[in-house]
Amino acid sequence: MSASLSSARRQEAATGYLFALPYLLLFLVFMVGPMAYGFYISLHEWHILGRQKPFVGLANYRALLADDLFGIAMLNTAYFALLTVIPGNALSLLLAMGLNARIRGETALKTAFYLPVVLSVAVVAIIWRWAYSTEFGWINHYLRLLGLPPAAWLNSPKLAMPSLALMSIWWGAGGQMLIYLAGLRGIPEELYEAAMIDGAGARARFRHVTLPMLRPTLLFCLVMAVIGSSQVFGQSYILTAGGPLYSTLTVALYMYQTGFSLYRLGYACAVAYALFVVVLGITLVQFRLLYARREGEAR
Amino acid sequence: MSRPPTNTPAPPGALAARLRRSRAALGAVLGLGIALLALLPASCGRAPGTVAEGGAIRFWNGFTGPDGATMERMTKRFTAETGIPVRMQIIPWATYYDKLTLSLAYGDAPDLFVCHANRIAEFARYQVFAPIAPLLAADPSFDVDDIIPRVRSAATYCGTQVALPLDCHPQGLYYNARLFREAGIVDAGGRAAPPRTLDEFLAAARRLTRDEDGDGQPEQWGFAFTWLRTNWITFLSQFGAGILTPDLSRAALAEPPALEATRLMRDLIYRYRVAPKPEGIDAWMGFRQGRVAMAIEGIYMISSLQTQPGLSYAGAPVPRFGPNPGVWGGSHMLCLPRDLPAERQARAWRLMRYLSDHSLDWAAGGQVPVRRSLLRTARFRRMTVQYQFSHQLPYVVFEPPSPKSNEVTPFVDSAIQAVLLGIQSPRAAAADASRRINQVLERP
Amino acid sequence: MGGRPRRAMRRLLLYAAMVAAAAFFVAPVFWMVSISLQPENEVFSKAPHWLPREPTLRNYRDLFARAEEAPVARWFANSVIVAGGGTLTYLLIASMAAYAFSRLRFPGREPLFVLVLATLIIPGQVTIIPVFLVLQRLGWFNTYLALIVPGLSGAFGVFLLRQFFLTIPRDLEEAAMLDGCGPAGIYARIILPLAKPALATLAIFSFLGGWNDFLLPLIATNEVEMRTLPVGLTLFLGRYDMQYGMVMAVATVASLPVVLIFLAFQRHIVRGVVLSGIKG
Repeated sequence: MSASLSSARRQEAATGYLFALPYLLLFLVFMVGPMAYGFYISLHEWHILGRQKPFVGLANYRALLADDLFGIAMLNTAYFALLTVIPGNALSLLLAMGLNARIRGETALKTAFYLPVVLSVAVVAIIWRWAYSTEFGWINHYLRLLGLPPAAWLNSPKLAMPSLALMSIWWGAGGQMLIYLAGLRGIPEELYEAAMIDGAGARARFRHVTLPMLRPTLLFCLVMAVIGSSQVFGQSYILTAGGPLYSTLTVALYMYQTGFSLYRLGYACAVAYALFVVVLGITLVQFRLLYARREGEAR
Repeated sequence: MSRPPTNTPAPPGALAARLRRSRAALGAVLGLGIALLALLPASCGRAPGTVAEGGAIRFWNGFTGPDGATMERMTKRFTAETGIPVRMQIIPWATYYDKLTLSLAYGDAPDLFVCHANRIAEFARYQVFAPIAPLLAADPSFDVDDIIPRVRSAATYCGTQVALPLDCHPQGLYYNARLFREAGIVDAGGRAAPPRTLDEFLAAARRLTRDEDGDGQPEQWGFAFTWLRTNWITFLSQFGAGILTPDLSRAALAEPPALEATRLMRDLIYRYRVAPKPEGIDAWMGFRQGRVAMAIEGIYMISSLQTQPGLSYAGAPVPRFGPNPGVWGGSHMLCLPRDLPAERQARAWRLMRYLSDHSLDWAAGGQVPVRRSLLRTARFRRMTVQYQFSHQLPYVVFEPPSPKSNEVTPFVDSAIQAVLLGIQSPRAAAADASRRINQVLERP
Repeated sequence: MGGRPRRAMRRLLLYAAMVAAAAFFVAPVFWMVSISLQPENEVFSKAPHWLPREPTLRNYRDLFARAEEAPVARWFANSVIVAGGGTLTYLLIASMAAYAFSRLRFPGREPLFVLVLATLIIPGQVTIIPVFLVLQRLGWFNTYLALIVPGLSGAFGVFLLRQFFLTIPRDLEEAAMLDGCGPAGIYARIILPLAKPALATLAIFSFLGGWNDFLLPLIATNEVEMRTLPVGLTLFLGRYDMQYGMVMAVATVASLPVVLIFLAFQRHIVRGVVLSGIKG
């Protein structure tokens, strides 16, 4: 009896491995392997054309700490995250709530909000490059018509990053909106009715019903938004090339430049790893927050 | 109110939206590649390193747009005349060198490729080029001294010629002749008269800068900076300055003559108010719209003007802003990879030589040939703008032939952009850039 | 009471806000399409033309006419193959793995799944250089394999589907098992049909991801014929001699299929998110 059970177990295990194998194989070759290989490269002076690729230990990481451009890139990336994560999620949530208010034309509106999400970064950048142009762009054209001073959207170190952030919010808000919408649809109607009976106004209902019920969705979206914004690349790669005066130089762009323009792969991998470690840290903190709240709820 | 306890929250939309932005998005494993192979057998035709159907010459360059069409025609004619097929790959310059470097590092390099003058030293340092001397020796009918010495020396690294210059593309002064005539800046014959000195330039630029509605925002500008780094090099060279010291060991941007040149550029915007703050590509669009009267740009821009009927443009040598004549120039160099089998090398050389011999065809699309014999021809004189720009060949200045030139470039770009946008003073920007450049130069 | 007019007022404000927001999201896209229909001299006019005065399809004709230099039709086909082939393969492989992770017990299952999950937060840039070297070593440059296979290692779909499979009641399987159905039969005949909404959601996201991917096709191809649309697009971005009308035409062509697919399947997206029960 127990023998047959364990043989059934063994068979199940074998089947399990078999089913997971194709994925795990690719996972190994294109995810785990490259992670390890990248770290190995980061321990070397690794110029693509160099005949020798000498081992240098942690020298690349030490150089990183002394590299003020890397510091600038980290701060810029954090700034971009700040500019996009909170406002972007707030906008997405507002849109979702608007859609959830039994509004007519929901499908058309939803489609409109989601439309930019399906565009590729190259297309987005081309569209906005023109819009933002100081002399010739249509944003400034209308500002002038309104008698307002035109702004140097991409050509001022103060405005460049916020401009990229605005564009990114435009591009991505629709994606989060769908998640929030799904989250809102999952909140049972009775809760609102109960709150109404207790005399709660709209604001109170939002604070005491919507927000608590939505918290897991909210925190999840925030986590993913932080991860996403830490990888910001295409926007500054295409629109500003990191300028003016390094104000849009992000970590991912810096990594790309050192790796694929200067061919210093060892250093580029060190940059990527440093970014990874920081993002991992932030994510762990966020997850801890998430789970702490959940336990609180369970009480 | 039930929330499945197993759920780690993971809204797919946000995640996907984010992941999509990174490369990983697509998803998962393909059934072991087997399913994939089954799916796409017909389409996987192109194996890597498939060298050349029927022994074609694989030729890589970054000539997009009209240049690419011209080059395509030239290689077709070459094939028709010699029977040697050419397989040309156009990779936009923005990604061209990434691809080229990778192919040189990992095999699969083309038989023949174009390299800009300012990248020669960088690649030569890693010995990726085959020296040209043996090919020249094997082809005595080719007169290498026909090539302008200044350009030829840019094809040389540590005394070895590693490339054959196809052309030179100096900057020059583009001007809108109609706007000049309207402003009365004409010679005795009523033809638009381009400025030749700084004073003439400023006088013309002032008259051509017009703020018709008086809002302090001119609708028409006398001048505009376009490609900032190369514009800077032009100004620097006229003051006897440069990005690096002549021995290429240090940055020279903070030296007095360099600062003088930089201040003059800044003054055109903030003191004389004859140029807008720079906006890269848009300034050139302004020239095409007829809202910018003068710009200093490379000869290659001519092709974009030729396609625009109704624009009355003309070209002239860059005015003398400083004590010396000087103008930035670049050059497309034809290069062979090291380790190419001798017979493929010989075939590639035939194409190199053909392109050089026929570089007048190439020049028509917006280049200046570098063969003295071709510069003297009547046909070249008829290419009016090219001809005007070619007068500057004796004093054309290339970017510093340092193996670190490419690494230094971003700091140069950033410094001049900061100055012209009014973000940094010339001195501060130069000091900043010099510090970073010296760091790069000191690194082994 | 005054409640009614106030409510109506609020409704009105809501609609106004939503329409304004919709305009914000749609206007730039509309503008892209509009420019693509304008002749060059209108494109370069001083004031923006939101509606073409003399609409023309010339940009589109020119686009497809330059096949030698910019084979747009081929890029289109490439994008379809890469996004479509990648999506189908990923659905298969990810659903198999998700099935194993949700239904079959085997030693090391939990740690493996956590490892897979953890890679969700790895920025693509961290692995891109090593992936590039791996592709080089495999000799896959300029092949569809290089454009498709690395993307198949993503953890997202496995995670999404596993979460969905967990919500499928076990009784169905037990009944099938009594009928003599093995794990493969259960996977094919019970799990997959029931998971259609989740599979549809994943298919859309995968397709969008594959269609718009930029970094991988940028580094894994250099032959013009092997580019995908977004990368091919950059061929039109000359430094100066940009033909905006044409660029916008390419951008429109590159966006059209994904927009249509979204319109066709947009119901499934929200439904899939809700049904997967993983919204939080």
